[in-house]
Amino acid sequence: MNQELIRNFSIIAHIDHGKSTLADRMLHRSGAVAERDLKEQLLDTMDLERERGITIKASAVTIDMVVDGKTYMFNLIDTPGHVDFHYEVDRALAACEGALLVVDATQGVQAQTVANAYAAVGNDLEIIPVVNKIDLAGAGPEDTAIEVEHVLGISSENVQFVSAKSGDGVPELMKAIVEHLPPPTGDPDAPLQVLIFDSQYNDYRGVICYVRVMHGTLNKGRKILLMGRARNYMVTELGKFRPRMTPCDSLAAGETGYVVASIKTLKDVTVGDTITDAVHPAPEPLPGYQPPQLMVFCDFYPSSGETYNALREALERLSLNDSSFSYHPQQSDALGPGFRCGFLGLLHMEIVQERLERECGVSVVQTAPSVTYEVVLRDGKVERVEAAGDLPDASHIEELREPWVEMQIITPAEAIGNIMALAETKRGEYKRQEYISPQRVILTYEFPFNEILYDFYDKLKSITRGYGTMDYQVTDYRAGDLVKLDILVNHTPVDALSLICHRTKADHRGRRFLIKLRREIGRQQFEIRLQASIGHKIIASETIKPFRKDVTAKCYGGDVTRKRKLLEKQKKGKKRMKTVGSVDIPQKAFMTVLEPED
Amino acid sequence: MGPLVDALLRELDGYVAGQTLEVETIFVGGGTPTMLPPEELGRLLDRLRALARPGAELEFTVEANPATVTPEIAKVLVSAGVNRVSIGAQSFDVAELAVLERGHRPVQVAETVAVCREAGLGCVNLDLIFAIPGQTLESWLASLEQAIGLQPEHLSCYSLTFEPGTRLYDQLQAGKVTRVDQDLDAAMYERTIDTLSDAGYVHYEISNFSRPGYRCRHNLVYWHNEPYLGIGPSAAGLVDGARYKNVAEVAGYTEAVLAGRGPRVEEERRSIEQRARETAMLELRLIEGIDRRRFERRYGQDPVDFFSEAVRRHCETGLLEVTDQRVRLTRAGLLLADTVVADFL
Ligand SMILES: Nc1nc2c(ncn2[C@@H]2O[C@H](COP(=O)(O)OP(=O)(O)OP(=O)(O)O)[C@@H](O)[C@H]2O)c(=O)[nH]1
Ligand SMILES: [Mg+2]
Repeated sequence: MNQELIRNFSIIAHIDHGKSTLADRMLHRSGAVAERDLKEQLLDTMDLERERGITIKASAVTIDMVVDGKTYMFNLIDTPGHVDFHYEVDRALAACEGALLVVDATQGVQAQTVANAYAAVGNDLEIIPVVNKIDLAGAGPEDTAIEVEHVLGISSENVQFVSAKSGDGVPELMKAIVEHLPPPTGDPDAPLQVLIFDSQYNDYRGVICYVRVMHGTLNKGRKILLMGRARNYMVTELGKFRPRMTPCDSLAAGETGYVVASIKTLKDVTVGDTITDAVHPAPEPLPGYQPPQLMVFCDFYPSSGETYNALREALERLSLNDSSFSYHPQQSDALGPGFRCGFLGLLHMEIVQERLERECGVSVVQTAPSVTYEVVLRDGKVERVEAAGDLPDASHIEELREPWVEMQIITPAEAIGNIMALAETKRGEYKRQEYISPQRVILTYEFPFNEILYDFYDKLKSITRGYGTMDYQVTDYRAGDLVKLDILVNHTPVDALSLICHRTKADHRGRRFLIKLRREIGRQQFEIRLQASIGHKIIASETIKPFRKDVTAKCYGGDVTRKRKLLEKQKKGKKRMKTVGSVDIPQKAFMTVLEPED
Repeated sequence: MGPLVDALLRELDGYVAGQTLEVETIFVGGGTPTMLPPEELGRLLDRLRALARPGAELEFTVEANPATVTPEIAKVLVSAGVNRVSIGAQSFDVAELAVLERGHRPVQVAETVAVCREAGLGCVNLDLIFAIPGQTLESWLASLEQAIGLQPEHLSCYSLTFEPGTRLYDQLQAGKVTRVDQDLDAAMYERTIDTLSDAGYVHYEISNFSRPGYRCRHNLVYWHNEPYLGIGPSAAGLVDGARYKNVAEVAGYTEAVLAGRGPRVEEERRSIEQRARETAMLELRLIEGIDRRRFERRYGQDPVDFFSEAVRRHCETGLLEVTDQRVRLTRAGLLLADTVVADFL
């Protein structure tokens, strides 16, 4: 195909600004999807995506679009807006020449708008700003366009105004794509260089690589080489997403599609790797990607009644579909054998946990997530620690370093005072502020990652009445006056409950934590003693009185079955629990650390 | 009301056909049978009375809410052979009755008892509820004293259960009422046991007390996991080794039966092991507990062996005791019966 007639672009935006809905309109317009098959956010195919109404995984799709009488091939990639999945955006951008930067006209420029726009600029992409939701009453399309120009330096001349819902402005947008986004420039006759920008596992075909052909032409039956892995395969199928997988015979430079090559597991493929011809390889691979950074870690243990092996199998199965989380065996003194898992962020963690229960049917007890710390030992060695429980004895530690992030907060100006007060409680360091309009500001701060991981976002939302948004990147590790807070249940330390926090906060944190634990653990058959300690010093304690009464008063009208079922249910309620000594600790107790501090 | 009684009798016919039921006890409960027009009530009761085993010392109970028993109704009851009335007194405190959404006034309980006695009903039970939101230990003990003053042969004292589907439950969920503190609930229960024992009542089941010789034989059938027939909307039964349950809605029930369809919505056959576990669950509610010999005769194994793990654990914690004859809850175990019983399932 003539490259002049191809456009490769990503749709990027802040969460919920309407990327997937805009993709729907384009699919519809191109005739790729029949009217009756049209449903909202068609490219969000995972159950979890549909349920939560968010995009988790980027989706590529090829459509034919007639503009001014000529038929163009659009390869578009709908990307997720949530911070945890930002790496998906980066990957998609590397496969494109252009990007549609969607901005909700009722919200204006938000934190991920900025982050994603910078990512597109960093990839040398041409950007078309698209002001969306102009059908809504509260929309301010002109102001939004001015903000885009002001904050991102993208001329408002090119802005397209659309309603992804009604389709207004979409024909003009199609025209702008053809006019403003450059066609690809790869050489179809050069040695083959194909970028793997994503991969997916399918029970029947094995691994499906999402690819963008940069140079050369890829054909069915070709022997190929995965350059990073130095392994050969044969192409058994290639094709395009329309949006169903539709086989074709070749993909030429500039085109996007998929490749199936009897690759068994996702672990055999590195996203970002280059496919080349096994017989006439390209001299160099493409630059590829940085592997996504795992930001938070937690442990999964089999709940009472589940086995370690069932959990291991479930994790194996899930990792076939999602290669972006890590897991390895972990032994807890209190909870026994389980797995230490690494995630891109808290949403990612929540999703993996939910899929384990839902798709694999295993119920897990999960510990509170932690960031990674660097420990400098007395002997000069540096270790990474992913959970407070793994910290060596304080006497061996020379220095403890924690990760810091740089954060951009976009907020209505009147909330600045409140945000500054909040930042203070989170050990934030103010950097700068810029007005993006007379009413709105971008604040830049530095924070210890641990301080903003749990409740910062909710607090920000509440003090800005929902208008504040944030984005952050881990920048470096810095030494801190950090201590390990241990929790003892009936005098036995429970490693999975310990946490690392700043010395100045330890007392308060310990006291609050015990109060929450007392509530979550609840009365049981015997008295339970809870203590928080730093080293050998007890800094707080709580007692849970034993059950006084647990008896069904009445067996209604001889309905014995019902009574039996109630008792059985009560017994099952113990499922998402771990027993330490004779104390049942419910799942929620491990997560109480995450609750807002007050 | 006509169609409901028609349906009840029709369902009964299905069980009676071709066999004689050797009925020893009858219990007409659920809702308020005494709200039926006297002729309808009489028609139903006469029919039930005819089911009794000839020569049996029939226990025939009818449930009644205070203020629904007129002298006329009481006469219908007596002439149909009813010899036990169970009155839903619940509380003698106006505010507590309002929380429970009971429409009667406290004095109507005494009036109802008097009407029953006058008509010659020999055994009166009062149902009482404690741990009502807002109730204090003092107000509960006051209600209890008032109840004792009426000299009932039998008392059922239930700690309030919030049943899903009731208004009270919704109010609890919505935070409009709060549960009584667990310690207070326990104190009320313990004081109930002591007070009634001092007044000469025998505590024979978790929530039930009687004058010697007046245990409710009908309920004992449930607690010994023996067969019983249940008819009517949402009735449960155990017949020929199978448990069943009827549809709950009165309209749905009446329609199903009169159209010749069965009213059952659940049926369950249980293995011998399940039956043994159920028996343990039920008999542990009795103060005398499980009779080891009887259990062994029924299920082929001594319960101490059958439930060895649970028995060992709860004897250690002091909630259960084993004698030569019996396995039963201790006084401490009574308050934690569900914790113990769950391990027998
Ligand atoms: N009124 C109106 N609503 C819209 C428009 N575009 C999108 N929406 C709604 O906005 C919500 C978010 O739309 P999505 O398309 O899922 O947003 P997204 O950017 O893909 O979201 P993520 O993938 O989670 O980042 C949905 O409820 C859409 O129906 C529009 O033009 N007008
Ligand atoms: Mg989306």
